[in-house]
Amino acid sequence: MKTEKNFTLMYLMAVTAQILICNFINVGTYVSVSILPVLVLCLPLNIPVMLLMFIAAITGLAVDWLAEGIVGLNMLAAVPVAFIRNFTVSLLFGKDKTDRAEGISIRKNGFLRVSAAIIICQSVFSAIYIIADGAGTVPFLFILIKFAISLCCSYVLSIPLFNMLASDEK
Amino acid sequence: MSGKRNIFRICVNAAVFILLEVAALVMLSHNGQMQNIWISKGIHAFHAFFWGGAENIRDYFSLKKQNAALAEENFRLSQTIRAYRELTGREMDGDSIPETTGGYRYIHADAVKISNNRMHNYLILDKGSEDGVEELSGVITSNGIVGIIDAVGKRYSYARSFKNSGMVVSARIGKEGPTGEIMWDGISSNGAVLREIPHHIAVQPGDTVYTSGFSSIFPPDIPLGVTGESTVVNGSTFNVKVTLFTDFSSIRYVTIVHNTDNGEIKELEGRDED
Repeated sequence: MKTEKNFTLMYLMAVTAQILICNFINVGTYVSVSILPVLVLCLPLNIPVMLLMFIAAITGLAVDWLAEGIVGLNMLAAVPVAFIRNFTVSLLFGKDKTDRAEGISIRKNGFLRVSAAIIICQSVFSAIYIIADGAGTVPFLFILIKFAISLCCSYVLSIPLFNMLASDEK
Repeated sequence: MSGKRNIFRICVNAAVFILLEVAALVMLSHNGQMQNIWISKGIHAFHAFFWGGAENIRDYFSLKKQNAALAEENFRLSQTIRAYRELTGREMDGDSIPETTGGYRYIHADAVKISNNRMHNYLILDKGSEDGVEELSGVITSNGIVGIIDAVGKRYSYARSFKNSGMVVSARIGKEGPTGEIMWDGISSNGAVLREIPHHIAVQPGDTVYTSGFSSIFPPDIPLGVTGESTVVNGSTFNVKVTLFTDFSSIRYVTIVHNTDNGEIKELEGRDED
């Protein structure tokens, strides 16, 4: 119970961090840093997909509203991450993980597998976010470069965050 | 049982996913101008793809009806040719059929897209400037007029449908009866109103209405429909209800008709205005 309370608190703090990143950390046109995908990935595995999508949508909306940006953009990108989360976990960590709702961590599941899961979630999020943000007005090369740089930056930020949120006890 | 429940759960999840994404797209289009244009373009592309597919399916299932109508028209034309041959005693081979008849040039075309449910309907035809189509040409079928070519591309042309609230065509009751202007009634698919018929002329329900030939776009004597009830307007003219022969919902093949003297007529009209 204590762990769940801690997780909720940490989740809310991470959302606040994301809002602060959006509002105050301007790292240029070619970079868009987001930790929302890893937040969705770290949500407990016993949450049904439908509820997971609603949580992702509400989190995305909260970031959209409280950060300087277009309302709907983070929500649009976060919901697909929630939709594929269980499939990604089953694919990389085995179906037992989702069936038994066991938590995932770097120590138990290995750095490479966790990295792969983060990269898949970040890729889905970044691709949708960058394409929708550009709205067909930016060249494909720009999208590609921005996607690659954003993925790298978000991945670097996501690893320690994943370590904090996905504890072995949960 | 478990498998069925799984499929049901996947369907519900997919539905919720689509719902949330649509909600996000709606919010996005309301909050970003660029995103609004982008999403609108996407919706139009999807609509065109879906609409085109539906049209192809509709065409496929109406082939039997279209074939029957074409066979009937073919028979009627053959009978007409036989009657003329009897009258004139002359044979005509296929090569000697002229492209232009009676000052009008005829081009066969397929309607690739038709709108029918708006106040301003239109058609897209598969013939363009490369095929000799010109602006202000008429579009007809054997059952009457369909529209007027408004814009011409290389391979396609855009025609304003007769079912357009602003379109008026000169028409006549019978082959030698009074002349007025006919326009779509804006309500039914095959209803029209013939206006400006002088009050002193009795109009019988069931008379055939033809094009008068005064418009320089449509040749004379194309049957348009049959007259119905008539009402007196301002005590001086009749408005006559007309039931059109053309079934706009099943148009597939049309004929583009262009008055070859149209340029000269327009020039004279322009000189008169000056």
